[in-house]
Amino acid sequence: MADYQIRRCERQLEGGIHPETQKALSTTDSCIFVGDPKRLVFPIHFSGGGPGEALVAVADIVSQGTPIIKCQSGITHVASRAGKVIDIIDHEIAHPAATKSASIIIEPSGLEDQNYLDPLVWPFDADTLRNRAIEAGILGLGGAGFPSFKKWSEGMQTLIINGAECQPYLTTDDTLMRIDTHSMIRGASMLSQSLDIKTIIIGIEDNKPEVLEAIESALKESCSDCFFDVVLLDTKYPSGSERHLVWLTLGIEVPTGSHAVESGVIVHNPGTLAALSRAIDGKPITDRIVTLTGEALAAPQNIVVPIGAPISHLIEATDTNPESLTSITIGGPMMGYSVTNFTAGITKTTNCLLAREVDIPPESPCIRCGACATVCPVRLQPQQMVFALKGGSLDRAIHEGLTDCIECAACNAVCPSHIPLAEWFRLGRFEARDKANDQRLAAKARERFEARNMRLKRISLEKEAKRAVRQAKTADALEKARKARKESA
Amino acid sequence: MIKRPNYPPMDTQIVMCTVLIALVPGVIAMTLFFGVGVLLNLATAIPAALAAEAICLGLRQRPILPRLNDLSAVLTGALIALSLPQAAPWWLIILASTSSIMLGKHLYGGLGQNPVNPAMLGYALMLISAPVTMTTLWIDPLATPDLSTAWLAYLGQSSDAVTGATMLDLYRTEFRALTAAEASQNPLFTQAHLGFIYGYEWVALAYLVGGLWLIYQRVITWHTPMGLLVTLTVVSAFFSFDPDTATPVWIHLTAGAGIFAAFFILTDPVSGATSPKGRLWFAIGVGILTYLIRTYGLYPDAIAFAVLLMNFAVPMIDQYTRPRIMGRGSSIRGSGGQS
Repeated sequence: MADYQIRRCERQLEGGIHPETQKALSTTDSCIFVGDPKRLVFPIHFSGGGPGEALVAVADIVSQGTPIIKCQSGITHVASRAGKVIDIIDHEIAHPAATKSASIIIEPSGLEDQNYLDPLVWPFDADTLRNRAIEAGILGLGGAGFPSFKKWSEGMQTLIINGAECQPYLTTDDTLMRIDTHSMIRGASMLSQSLDIKTIIIGIEDNKPEVLEAIESALKESCSDCFFDVVLLDTKYPSGSERHLVWLTLGIEVPTGSHAVESGVIVHNPGTLAALSRAIDGKPITDRIVTLTGEALAAPQNIVVPIGAPISHLIEATDTNPESLTSITIGGPMMGYSVTNFTAGITKTTNCLLAREVDIPPESPCIRCGACATVCPVRLQPQQMVFALKGGSLDRAIHEGLTDCIECAACNAVCPSHIPLAEWFRLGRFEARDKANDQRLAAKARERFEARNMRLKRISLEKEAKRAVRQAKTADALEKARKARKESA
Repeated sequence: MIKRPNYPPMDTQIVMCTVLIALVPGVIAMTLFFGVGVLLNLATAIPAALAAEAICLGLRQRPILPRLNDLSAVLTGALIALSLPQAAPWWLIILASTSSIMLGKHLYGGLGQNPVNPAMLGYALMLISAPVTMTTLWIDPLATPDLSTAWLAYLGQSSDAVTGATMLDLYRTEFRALTAAEASQNPLFTQAHLGFIYGYEWVALAYLVGGLWLIYQRVITWHTPMGLLVTLTVVSAFFSFDPDTATPVWIHLTAGAGIFAAFFILTDPVSGATSPKGRLWFAIGVGILTYLIRTYGLYPDAIAFAVLLMNFAVPMIDQYTRPRIMGRGSSIRGSGGQS
């Protein structure tokens, strides 16, 4: 039995909102595997882990687990099913920008042809685990898709399993923590032991009593050396934001502009750790749990689907005709984005497909009521920031704290004037990043220019000096020659 | 694109409507003690405000109906109507109401753009332009006029029997010569139900009830009313060491627009400070200025000028009262060189 405690979080989230959670809609006892789709779509640059390159060519036969994409960060994506590469073309992708991008199309053969990695045998060091995470394509499965191995630096004190799942409608993590508890605990233990972390915190919102039960019984069976600190959080959005979870469970305020890792804390989604556990056994990520929910779906539920399965395939799995929907939201009601083309394949970061009709009331002017500031979990003044952004003053918005915004959209939910504040901030933050990037490039260019000027100056000075020496020599020689002539004369 | 959550909890229209409902107890109390002139004020000011709003929106080529529907003009009209003397003639009401909307609001770009409180701007404009009308046509609650007297006053023929200066004005002028004991022999005090001032005490109480309900409804926060009332109490208590010359604390609180303004005027979000701390400072500033103007200024009630002056200070207050952002060592102060 692992050493553990269960406690209620003593800290309260400042700000935040209590949206109707709508989680009952998709919560099911089991999580079914749906049949394989006719084709799988893997965007080469947008599968997570940065831009990549294809490792296969058209007409290649791949097994389940064959590496097909290698990303800049090193992360490898594998074929989620055995089959044949039928095309590499520009294809629709599930992305907020909703554009087309080069994708590998695989037609599953339905064969049980697996090409897995060799299982790792404990004890192994952190480097071995990092390499395994790279080969198995382990990314943050919570939605951000950050390459997990990059968080695994030395000197970390705590691992937090982020099981808060505070967004309404989503039950992906809830399902995983109930049905795959052992893998999650095992992945967390292995990671902690290889990084010499002693404490693992599991943060869950108190609306998941069944998860708590499952975790408790799994911990009783576990023989991990780590100490497990299970923290029950008040159900309030956005308690699952990384910064807020770190503060709620540990009381550490992650400083502005830095990540939790820089405060000695690793935060992982439960699914990421369960995937890591399987990767240690040799199985790369080929499937994931997706919540299919929303009032517009006939049978909302959680399903296990192969990565790359088209969105329409998932919608069909809920007994709903994809053509009856005009758009679908990927990633939950608060922070998700909508897509209208359902041929795009799901990626490792697709945690939820939400289908519902929402009436957006027309926007009216801001009356500075301050409701947004009251609910802002980072204590920003959204009304002041949006005023600056609408006035075209990005600098003013940044001064007001735009770059500290976590884009949780709690402000949107309470605005009596129905101003899409979070959209403004998302755009503003994008522009701010762009601007910072431009400034960095400009600074670099200036540096290069100045270095070049210095070099040219140095060269010309050297030339000058050489010429002076040469002239002196010539003058000397002339003088000598003159003297010699005079003497001879 | 982020999908909006499907639970619109509040709407500008609902906010305005809630404030209007919260005014009802005050209006009833005022009508009981000051006569139907109060209702005539409302019935004139609100349509005038709506008409001014519609004209301005039309001239500015903005959609008219959605903005009329948000009830903000109705609220401005109601606030100005309740601020004016109860025996005010119709032209004064219309001028006050339309100038509130046109000069106070639309000159700056309409809803959400006004730097100062529109109702107070309209009130201050009338006080400067028509000082006699604005200071002598207040109803004496001991002589509540009947319908015909009120109607005559509305048409501009007010009767001296029912009107006069306000209690604050009396204290500033006539009562100075009296001792505190002599002043307390005024029938308004001797006949008061609750021991304050006949009529005014109930009006203040009614506005207090409405205001507390607004806090309960989370339309306003406690910071603003608390800031004003506490400041006014502390400052006037501090200077009332000589009861024969100073205006008593409870006169400051109940006789003028104190309670009404604390809950309904200072809480205008557009022209007020935006953070809770800022709201507190804003209200404290109004409290101090109100006392100073009431005591040393030319005008008997000073809320309007105090509010307008503090409105101009709001951008600065906002810059120095930001909360500390999570993850930062200290709060951001100043404008950072950004305009």
